[in-house]
Amino acid sequence: MFFHNKKFHEIETPILIGYPPAESYLDVFQTTLLDRRHKKTSAYLSTSPELALKKLLVAGIGNCYSITKSFRNGETDSKTHTPEFTILEWYRVNKTYVDLMDDCEQLIRFIAASLKKGSTLTYQGTSFDLSAPWIRISVIEAFSTYAQVDLNTFFDMDTARKIATKKGYTVTASNTWEELYNQIFLNEVEPHLGVTKPTIMYDFPSAMGALCRKKISDPRLVERFEFYIGGLEVGDCYGELTDWKEQKARFDQELVEIQRIGKTLYEYDHDFIEALKEGMPEASGIAVGLDRLIMLFTNTKTIQETQLFPYEDLFDK
Amino acid sequence: MATISTGDFKKGIFVTFKNEPHQIMEFQHVNPGKGSAFVRTRLKSLKTGKVQEFTYKSGESIEELPVETHEMQYLYPEGEGYVFMDNRTYDQVTVPKLLIGDFVRFMKENDTYQILTHEEEAVGVRLPKKVRLLVTEANEGGARGNTVGGALKVVTLETGAEVNVPLFIKQGEMIAIDPETGTYVERA
Repeated sequence: MFFHNKKFHEIETPILIGYPPAESYLDVFQTTLLDRRHKKTSAYLSTSPELALKKLLVAGIGNCYSITKSFRNGETDSKTHTPEFTILEWYRVNKTYVDLMDDCEQLIRFIAASLKKGSTLTYQGTSFDLSAPWIRISVIEAFSTYAQVDLNTFFDMDTARKIATKKGYTVTASNTWEELYNQIFLNEVEPHLGVTKPTIMYDFPSAMGALCRKKISDPRLVERFEFYIGGLEVGDCYGELTDWKEQKARFDQELVEIQRIGKTLYEYDHDFIEALKEGMPEASGIAVGLDRLIMLFTNTKTIQETQLFPYEDLFDK
Repeated sequence: MATISTGDFKKGIFVTFKNEPHQIMEFQHVNPGKGSAFVRTRLKSLKTGKVQEFTYKSGESIEELPVETHEMQYLYPEGEGYVFMDNRTYDQVTVPKLLIGDFVRFMKENDTYQILTHEEEAVGVRLPKKVRLLVTEANEGGARGNTVGGALKVVTLETGAEVNVPLFIKQGEMIAIDPETGTYVERA
């Protein structure tokens, strides 16, 4: 309804695909497509509607959205993850990630209003004021305020190791910068996000934004934000990368990493690269975990409780 | 001392955290948006009973504290602990209340339990899968009605603990409880 009112196109995207986007931090579900002669072709369950929607952006569809199931293998043993989950993804053409921050606020308030919950949401004993404006804090500010870390110096790997070690974390030679960054983030910064009011955290380090546009004013950072309500990360937004050369380079890099860590290998979607060559309009897109929104609005503690058939029940232990 | 990784985590094991012995109460995997894996863990201090959360990098090395199991008879409460007696050696040990926690609700005097020790010091009790206890009070005032299964009422057990059970459980019956969740499992 929300998107219909804003005149977005609703899109149904394929779940069964031939070529996923190359992303080393995800694990794919792989299957086999048989043709009439039983010839086998590798097939995969899509990890997000992103590539399909972006191809449509290239084709000129304009603002669009999709609500679908996405599949991420290995995302088990968690109260907030499940390998098959419901995702809402939308894109705005010729708008920035800042414009999508407004979309997020409006969407959540729209849902609250439709459920007749007013502008206060109570989740697990805490009340959240959903009204504007939400807290907006940059990653650099968040690290400084909550972890007493100056991210500007932390960008240097040696300094990062020193800071992490000084804080008492275990640091080994094989740890990546992103692991050190995230361990501090998860232990010291994230617990403070979205705990009294919905919070938007923006401008991530570029290591955390493989498919994002770099900030023109500060290329160490990318145009990305996440928003948190009630301690739950609900949405992830990018100013999208439209340069096909850079996208291909990143995909190639990701495949190398996938091989290095031994995850299921696949060919990435070259068709998508061809589409980018045609020219994707400047756009920003965001993905929201719909199951988590349901958790928030129904005040349930685990993602499994929002499902009639959580995956844990479908397999023998 | 054994070095384990986060992949070896099990609920209830004992580890060193901030140089102090802790017990892992709970853990779950988290993937921060577009990043590697981490394990968010709840750890209870064996010294203070305080529970805190810490997120480990997936694959991080942690020191596990090996524990020994002793079959011990629960005797009585004393001060800030509970006195147990080793069935073989007749040695008595006082286990601090904070290491037993809620399990005391289901402990019966003279019953045998598995007390865990690390370097001669008690660190906790291994929760049995089920405890069998007598229902000593089951008031019949609970509403019957046409509910399709699932209706519960509160009864009192011989240890004084109150639990929710199905309506058909009567006073004088033996029932089995899952001590981890404190919930009714079946008739015993």
